[in-house]
Amino acid sequence: MKVVDWSKEDPDDLWGNASDERILVNIGPTHPAMHGALRMVAELQGETIEKSYCEFGFTHRAKEKLGENRTYHNFIVYTDRLNYCSALINNVVYAMSVEKLMGIELPERCIWIRMICCELARITDHLICIGINAVDLGAFSFFLYGFHQREEAYTLIEKLCGARLTTSYTRIGGLMADAPEGFEQELQAWVVKTLAVIEEMDRLLSNNKIWKKRTVGVGVFDKEDCMQYSFSGPNARAAGIDFDLRRDQPCMFYREVDFEVPILKNGDVYDRYRIRFEEMKQSLQILQQCASRMKKGPIWCEDKRVRIPDKDVVHNTMEGMIYHFKFFMQGFEVPEGEAYTQFEAANGELGFYIVSKGRTQAHRMRIRGPSFWHYQGLSRMIQGEKIADMVAALGSINIIAGELDR
Amino acid sequence: MSKDGSSSFFTTKLDAFVNWGRKHSLWPLPFGTSCCGIEMMATLCSDYDMSRFGAEVVRFSPRQSDLLIVAGIINLKMAPILKMVYDQMSDPKFVMSFGACASSGGIFNVYSVLQGIDTLIPVDVYVPGCPPAPEGVIHALLALQRMVAAGETHSQKRLLAAKQA
Amino acid sequence: MLEHIELWQSQVMELKEAFGESILEVRMPGDFPVDVPVIYLEKKHLLEVLRFLKERECRYSFLSDITATDEQEEGLPWRFEVVYQLFSQISKLRIRIKVRVAEGETVPTSVPLWAGANWAEREVYDMFGIVFEGHPDLRRILMDQRWVGHPLRKDYALKGFQIFTDSQSIDPSWLK
Repeated sequence: MKVVDWSKEDPDDLWGNASDERILVNIGPTHPAMHGALRMVAELQGETIEKSYCEFGFTHRAKEKLGENRTYHNFIVYTDRLNYCSALINNVVYAMSVEKLMGIELPERCIWIRMICCELARITDHLICIGINAVDLGAFSFFLYGFHQREEAYTLIEKLCGARLTTSYTRIGGLMADAPEGFEQELQAWVVKTLAVIEEMDRLLSNNKIWKKRTVGVGVFDKEDCMQYSFSGPNARAAGIDFDLRRDQPCMFYREVDFEVPILKNGDVYDRYRIRFEEMKQSLQILQQCASRMKKGPIWCEDKRVRIPDKDVVHNTMEGMIYHFKFFMQGFEVPEGEAYTQFEAANGELGFYIVSKGRTQAHRMRIRGPSFWHYQGLSRMIQGEKIADMVAALGSINIIAGELDR
Repeated sequence: MSKDGSSSFFTTKLDAFVNWGRKHSLWPLPFGTSCCGIEMMATLCSDYDMSRFGAEVVRFSPRQSDLLIVAGIINLKMAPILKMVYDQMSDPKFVMSFGACASSGGIFNVYSVLQGIDTLIPVDVYVPGCPPAPEGVIHALLALQRMVAAGETHSQKRLLAAKQA
Repeated sequence: MLEHIELWQSQVMELKEAFGESILEVRMPGDFPVDVPVIYLEKKHLLEVLRFLKERECRYSFLSDITATDEQEEGLPWRFEVVYQLFSQISKLRIRIKVRVAEGETVPTSVPLWAGANWAEREVYDMFGIVFEGHPDLRRILMDQRWVGHPLRKDYALKGFQIFTDSQSIDPSWLK
């Protein structure tokens, strides 16, 4: 009987070329490891993926066509459903993009609250990304820790705008409602608790031998590949590309808060997991600074074109009521022009390219979702990897079907 | 069953017992496509535990589950796949339409969206909301449990009609 | 953004010196209601211009987006504008290149420069019907392969449903 020394032999080699046949496997749209509805057909030799084909479009909701058929105000609802794990960021970026076209200046408090929304949403998105990545590889309780913090964040967001997931919080030129009394203190308390929970999660998994074996060196996507496929956000930073739009093209008050941009160099699943931890810690720092620097003040701009009148004006004056009716039924006109507004969303560069012809509805509303560009790189990332590694790689690049299909 | 077709005492008591068992051990198949999928995960996680009601064992295979939770948008591209998954489940099977998009197409009345899954498969419970709050989902689950106990779901009625025919 | 106007102007000048006759129009922010310089090109030198911008000193090496717009207006010889958004990580600036095409006209593909342009161009084809010549695999991407029509065109109805009774099959030649 042949005694096999497993430390020297590779199990795949022992079979020789006995199984040269290739098998086509459909990892269908309804699969627990496919986030949302993504389909992949892989040609396998044994367990190794030789070729693959990624398909999507199963959640295509035609938001770009809806952008041409709804007023600018009505479209805010649809922006939540893009990256639904961090809906507040989409709202903020859309509002910023229309305000850029109209040349609207916002008051300070509005900008501070928007920054708080963005960083809060970023943390919740990262929590869910690494949680789902862990669940796919078997680490379920890690996910539950993170998800509980997400529920606490939902309580905060509910205090702000009444909804947990699909917030529709920003308005063009302002916000739906001001942050309630005591919000800053509750936010600070949440920040402290979340930092403790993140560190606990870090201790749970980051040095775990099984986790490291399954994620280090898996799904490597280096700098050159990232530039070719227009990767941005944590996926690019994990590969060593020093690119963060909050620092490179700052908007709102990002110039005035201190934060670092973590960069790692390997570009594998483990690095993409680690970088999200570091980014969460930086976001918590930004949140603390925003909460302490925010002062009382108005949250609406003074521009008459977009200012939604307050309820007492609407109910008590004729002009207020007429204006309210016309605002919501007809919409306001945005001057002719075009602009591309970009922001560092949780996944990467989220952009809105709006072409306006001076009407109440956009002529072209293009949404640049980062997941679209990241999913394209997946075929290249998993070539030659085993099928179990494909699951790890897919979880790490954080594909959100809402952004991918729009 | 007696000669005139009505069920006897023992059959109805047995049915009631079986339905009691069924309602307390629904095995969901989470068919989560978009945003409602996240709220479904929230309902299944530790804060709004759905396993308190017996629906803990999520099985991603239609052969092993009896409650199809359609959470999220169903496209015209996805619709044949939904039908395929529904057909593969064995009776009795229950369908919960989770969220506005699954119930009626939601806010998306566009060329690529199926305007409600009830155009395709029979639905037992509709949960309104975009996305529904987990409390609403649990309310719907309890309503579904009442329907299962009373034998009022589409699948149970179909089975009963087949038995009596 | 107007503080970068001089840098942009020098870059546009460099571009005009190299490709003078293919540049139809340049719209600079400040003179026109745009946020970054928009350069309208003739399609035959599109790849060279993109390569110039990608590899020269200005290094617009990050392809942000490829999309198109349906400018269906009476009496114009062209219908669509294919839009390329580029970003330079060195100078932190953006620029926009546009190519105007009529219906049925093709555009050269930019897949040789950026592998990521593959799917973006497929989406433009799917949504608008613009064919990219030289594209390795031009098929529909978001819609079903059997879909008729191009949804984002202005003459396609918002509620133009097309029902299929079975899911689309995959051709093994599509695997890469």
